[in-house]
Amino acid sequence: MDEDQIRSRLRLIRSVVTRNLMRDYVPFPMDRKLASSWASPLKVPRGGDALIYTSYMYQMASVFKSYGRLLPKFGSLASSSIVQGLGARVIKPSDDEMKRASSVLSNAYSLIRASGVEVGYLYEEEPYSGALLLEMGFLDELKEYGKRLLSFFHDKGAKRLIVLDPHTLFTLTYLKREAGFDVSFEHYLDVIKGAKGGGSFVLHDSCVFSRLLDRYSSLRDFIREAGISLSENELVTGKATGTCCGGPLGSLDYELSEGMAKQRAEELKSVNPRVLVMCPICLSQLSPYADVKDLLEVIRHE
Amino acid sequence: MSDSWKSAIAKVVASNELAVEKILNEYPYVVELAERLRETKLRVIDDLQAYVDKAMKGVERSGGHAYMAKTKDDAKKIVTEIVREAPTREEGKRGREKKKTVVLAKSNVAYEIGLRDHLIKEGFEAWETDLGEFLVQLRKGWPVHLVLPSVDLTREEAGKLVHGIDKSVNEDSSIEQIVAAVRGFLFEKYLAADVGITGANAVSADTGSVVLVENEGNIRMDTVMPRTHVVVTGVEKVVPTLRDAMDEAIVQSAYAGLYPPTYVNVTTGPSSTADIESHRVSPATGPKEFHVVFIDDGRIAASRDENLKEALLCIKCGRCYFACPVYRELGRNWVGTGSPYNGPTGVVWNYLTNGDPWPAFLCTHSGGCKEVCPMKIDLPTIIRYVKSVGEKRLG
Repeated sequence: MDEDQIRSRLRLIRSVVTRNLMRDYVPFPMDRKLASSWASPLKVPRGGDALIYTSYMYQMASVFKSYGRLLPKFGSLASSSIVQGLGARVIKPSDDEMKRASSVLSNAYSLIRASGVEVGYLYEEEPYSGALLLEMGFLDELKEYGKRLLSFFHDKGAKRLIVLDPHTLFTLTYLKREAGFDVSFEHYLDVIKGAKGGGSFVLHDSCVFSRLLDRYSSLRDFIREAGISLSENELVTGKATGTCCGGPLGSLDYELSEGMAKQRAEELKSVNPRVLVMCPICLSQLSPYADVKDLLEVIRHE
Repeated sequence: MSDSWKSAIAKVVASNELAVEKILNEYPYVVELAERLRETKLRVIDDLQAYVDKAMKGVERSGGHAYMAKTKDDAKKIVTEIVREAPTREEGKRGREKKKTVVLAKSNVAYEIGLRDHLIKEGFEAWETDLGEFLVQLRKGWPVHLVLPSVDLTREEAGKLVHGIDKSVNEDSSIEQIVAAVRGFLFEKYLAADVGITGANAVSADTGSVVLVENEGNIRMDTVMPRTHVVVTGVEKVVPTLRDAMDEAIVQSAYAGLYPPTYVNVTTGPSSTADIESHRVSPATGPKEFHVVFIDDGRIAASRDENLKEALLCIKCGRCYFACPVYRELGRNWVGTGSPYNGPTGVVWNYLTNGDPWPAFLCTHSGGCKEVCPMKIDLPTIIRYVKSVGEKRLG
């Protein structure tokens, strides 16, 4: 591994991401209006004490990947305002990606509402969770951001967050333990009722959800109860044998990240050509190499 | 790494997983032993220096010699002096002037301190005797895995390497022919060896015994044939009793997918016999001298660091490597040649022994390492801590 390259990228990521987070509650410049546009047609209430919390993950997963590739080109540009400007002009999710994210988020909202939970949304004011900082090991910066994040949610009167992705869930779990984050949060799978789906898939476990948060078995219980058939192979989908899609490495070593994604996709396809995920990073990583659906594209309220 | 690496590691990953599952099903007591061993080793970590002191006294009581080496250089200096002073194969003759022959059993700690290359530079003849490590030595490389150091080599590549020491072997030779050629070559080295150097799977504090587990038989030869046996071991290998040390050997071999092991070697002091008039004399058949060099190299400091100490539970079974998608892609290139430790545990041990945090940043926290670890080490959390240390060094 090229240590100089790693160090140089880490410095750049840290300076850009932390500066943006502390100022604007997002890791890099993004079109927040576009990212929150999924909610307007549904007339999702703005704000409230219970909030659906996307943390921009479904909307921006592929952007996280491409931003990481672009950062080295800006390596010598220390000024984050220049990077900001470049970022806002050149990095956007494609229309197809935004359409897919909107469909997923809309379904999540419908499932939550159909389960009797009234939630609002912060639209373009929604803050990012800081997951990227946790992934990189920037723990002091994450704890500092966590305090700002907590104040932000308190100011908005938020008392309950319904989280849609494993990375945000894991980050809030970390902040609760290490930084006193005291707004209650839960994963949508623990909230929704009466979700039904169909089809036969091989499940690619989110590392974070199934292993780090130890939800391997309960996730399978939910999926099977929803009427979805899962193909399993102990060497591919076992709790200990399943492996990462490579997504978190995209900003540091894109080639390694893609190599891992291809390898994982091949393993999964050997079990079932249709792959099921429940994480926007996994969805973005594996989609170029397999027929992948997110759980939120497969289940509906019965 | 190349496609041949990916193909080789994919086979090994699958076979290790199936082997370990079969072992744990057939011998369920291994899981209980692992759980108990974890608790025992945690107690030792919390009072590591005291246990090491006790183990050193045990070695001395058994008629051996114990040393404490704080750094890699200290350890190399101690071992070099032992080898220099070691008696030659001519009885009673101390041969400082003679070019000594040293045979080495697979020891990650020996790699960690750079021992073999150092001994060769000091003018000694030094040969690895584990087949995988012997091949690593022939290719002038570094081990790829803790237990399977040459798992990336094909039969053809191994044949080409061994051709260098036996012209009857080449890339068309069968594996059996290659192994037979290496056995023949090494047998001469065993007979000529003045010093045998091994690591340790575990060292018992109560008796000062060194326990080693193997399948080839080379460790047995290294510990018995030469007149002097030297053990180099990290201090974290100390466990309270000989029973605990035997447990560690069982757990390590089971989770490495090689159970029951062919041989378990217990060495307590030099060889001796009391067969005549119950009068004990030393040596008998085995070595006359027994030395144990306990190496710190960052371990004692780690035992006092709440963020790192759990890493010292590692029994070096290597199972976490196989569960790691980054290792499967990068192989030896992940941690590189600064350390014999690789994969998830290696990322931590490289930091612990070399102060190098950078390979940690390529960890994606896939989490399989934690699932397969017999000691239930929370590697993802420790690696995240190592990342945070690295981040602070960015300035």
